[in-house]
Amino acid sequence: MKRRSFIAGTAAVGGAGCGRGEGPAPGYRVLTENEIRTLDAWCEALIPADDAPGASWAKVPRYIDIQLTRKFRRLLPRYREALAAMERWLAAAGVEGMAARLELMEQGKAPRELFADGGKDAFEMVLAHTLQGFYGSPRHGGNRDYVSWVLLGVAPVPVRGREQAETGKN
Amino acid sequence: MVVAGLVVLVGVLLAPAGSLLYESGGPEACANCHEMGRQVELWSGSAHQEVKCGACHGDALTMDARVHWTNARRVAEHWMGRIGEEPRLGEGQVLEMMSRCEGCHEQEFAAWQAGPHAATYERLFLDEKHNHTRHLMNDCLRCHGAHAEGAIGDVVAPLDTKGPWRLVREELRGQPAIPCMQCHAVHREGQVLGRKRLEAKMAGRQQETHRPGLGFYDRRSRAGVRAGLLRVPKMEDNGRVLRMSADGRQAVCYQCHAPLAGRQAGSGDDRTPKGVHEGLSCLACHEQHRGTTRASCATCHPRLSNCGRDVETMDTTFANAKSGHNVHWVACADCHAKGVPRRR
Ligand code: HEC
Ligand code: HEC
Ligand code: HEC
Ligand code: HEC
Ligand code: HEC
Ligand code: HEC
Ligand code: HEC
Ligand code: HEC
Repeated sequence: MKRRSFIAGTAAVGGAGCGRGEGPAPGYRVLTENEIRTLDAWCEALIPADDAPGASWAKVPRYIDIQLTRKFRRLLPRYREALAAMERWLAAAGVEGMAARLELMEQGKAPRELFADGGKDAFEMVLAHTLQGFYGSPRHGGNRDYVSWVLLGVAPVPVRGREQAETGKN
Repeated sequence: MVVAGLVVLVGVLLAPAGSLLYESGGPEACANCHEMGRQVELWSGSAHQEVKCGACHGDALTMDARVHWTNARRVAEHWMGRIGEEPRLGEGQVLEMMSRCEGCHEQEFAAWQAGPHAATYERLFLDEKHNHTRHLMNDCLRCHGAHAEGAIGDVVAPLDTKGPWRLVREELRGQPAIPCMQCHAVHREGQVLGRKRLEAKMAGRQQETHRPGLGFYDRRSRAGVRAGLLRVPKMEDNGRVLRMSADGRQAVCYQCHAPLAGRQAGSGDDRTPKGVHEGLSCLACHEQHRGTTRASCATCHPRLSNCGRDVETMDTTFANAKSGHNVHWVACADCHAKGVPRRR
């Protein structure tokens, strides 16, 4: 087989193997394109950009997506459910905007046909993870470029000499 | 038997195919796979966006069994619907890239190799004098050997002050402990979108513009932290706050050539200039890779001289390493103990 056709072949297989459509959005682990879009708007409404970047720029959805394959693995069904409910709600008329909807959820006043408890549970879950993703270490996938630490004045890596090496304490 | 043979055959075919998937087409092929999303995204906003993945990471024809194995495994995981961990490179794979950096950056490589930062694992971890007086610990790897796998005990043994010491993995002996990637993050976070906004946020810290990839490899997070996010500490000299250069690049130097907790100039490994050179950046005198200072004096002297003498022959550590006048902190009064004379 000629190298070119071999490469073309594997690339085609690769495309199929990596999965589109129902599979994860490009660059993500589990959540689909639709789910990421909704989650992104959700997180951004919780920590919106002003003169500083917000949750979306900080890649909070990426943090949640990665953790849904690890620490939060058990929560995947709850996320899927919440995101689907939110998608349906967004498509329906009535309330304007994401922020207004989240306010209702916080008070447990979202439509019961979408969220059994009026949305309180989903609201708290996404809020907790959005804060973690925004303020945690970038190594977990969020807090892109240490954006929140810069805002807080925390040095990503402090300047620290080798004093411990001299005393032998560690 | 037949089944086993088939498995082996498929394995053999799959191995290079897995690699080709990543490396043949460059980014398009790599971007297909979600585990690499972050790396591809970072790369696409980096100075190397015109350079294909394989130019640094090697190509499928490299007979590196380990690359093929991990790639094949990852492809297999795709087919089985499993989600791989975010791929990480091993120390060998990182150090192996050095020769590829050299291929395109010959001058910088040669300068680095001739300078102090090409120090090897052998030089830094088997130093008798050092190891007799200071305890070996994980923290050593923060400033040199940052790409090493495992803990300090996986690099050097025994971990006592008696010795004799040996490298746990002999193959590290001649390897550089401060490779290019220590100071240059090739995949770098956040450069395209956020740069302007972020830097506008960093009040009071003027930055001289620097090359985008400059940074410090943070072993804990296993990622390069760009220079703009590193700090040049506020240094003091017996209670007096020193004037510091606004050159943000030297923040990289301060990560390793760092003061002790009191932030006193000259404490620990610090070299913050005070005296006649207060306020100068390390890089005003030290060439960035070779570390040399020979050519630097002429950029300011004799234009800025007080004594009417050739500063290069005056009694400082520049002219003579044993001089009592360290060039980083020599002051007028050190040489003019009886007061600075009048200019004639
Ligand atoms: C200019 C050289 C260069 C190019 C081009 C390049 N890389 Fe890298 N890559 C590196 C270096 C160096 C590292 C080691 C980690 C570091 O220091 O950032 C690395 C690390 C990685 C890692 C592992 C991440 C980790 O934390 O260990 C992956 C995955 C990766 N690269 C994928 C890619 C892909 C995919 C492309 C093409 C889109 C690419 N690289 C292009 C130099 C390069
Ligand atoms: C804060 C960063 C930092 C840490 C932590 C650190 N070093 Fe170093 N090391 C340096 C710097 C900077 C130099 C160069 C000092 C100079 O020439 O002024 C150096 C130099 C050395 C040298 C050359 C000889 C000497 O002592 O100057 C050896 C050997 C060495 N380090 C080993 C170690 C070991 C082993 C450890 C752990 C116990 C360690 N270092 C911890 C930054 C560090
Ligand atoms: C101890 C830190 C350090 C190490 C190690 C290091 N560099 Fe650099 N490098 C620098 C600094 C500082 C600069 C100056 C950046 C600037 O001016 O913005 C630089 C600049 C560069 C530039 C840009 C040069 C230009 O004039 O545009 C290249 C290319 C480069 N380095 C390649 C390398 C390569 C290749 C290696 C490994 C052989 C390497 N560096 C190792 C600190 C380092
Ligand atoms: C195939 C050639 C090629 C290879 C391999 C390569 N580079 Fe580069 N490098 C380039 C080009 C092209 C530029 C862009 C030049 C410019 O900005 O003027 C560049 C720019 C740089 C810069 C300055 C811009 C910045 O991001 O700070 C650094 C530093 C650098 N390379 C380091 C490295 C290191 C380290 C490696 C090895 C991991 C490497 N390069 C491998 C071609 C290459
Ligand atoms: C990753 C840690 C690290 C960084 C970053 C670093 N250095 Fe170093 N530097 C060292 C170590 C370790 C040595 C000692 C090497 C040896 O003794 O073999 C050294 C040695 C030196 C020396 C020579 C010391 C001597 O005894 O001759 C100079 C000069 C120097 N560094 C300047 C700089 C400057 C300027 C910067 C910033 C651009 C810088 N270094 C950044 C770790 C670092
Ligand atoms: C005014 C110029 C100048 C400045 C600024 C400067 N250095 Fe130096 N440095 C020298 C000279 C001259 C030497 C003597 C050896 C030589 O010529 O390379 C030296 C030597 C060193 C050494 C070797 C040990 C010693 O003290 O002789 C280290 C390490 C070093 N410098 C680090 C730094 C760091 C880090 C900075 C920034 C905080 C810095 N230097 C700023 C001129 C300078
Ligand atoms: C970036 C500019 C700069 C560089 C580079 C520089 N110096 Fe200086 N140096 C100064 C300034 C400014 C003064 C005078 C300070 C004052 O007037 O208070 C000075 C003063 C001195 C003095 C005191 C004597 C005199 O005539 O003022 C000596 C000695 C000296 N420098 C040595 C050196 C050596 C050796 C080098 C090269 C390693 C060097 N300097 C590199 C800026 C520089
Ligand atoms: C490394 C030592 C050294 C340092 C540092 C130094 N000087 Fe001098 N200076 C000398 C020597 C040696 C002479 C010539 C002998 C003499 O006149 O004492 C001299 C001469 C002078 C003269 C007389 C020049 C003339 O025209 O005759 C003046 C003025 C002077 N220094 C001012 C300064 C000032 C101001 C500083 C600090 C910014 C300074 N010096 C730092 C060594 C030094």
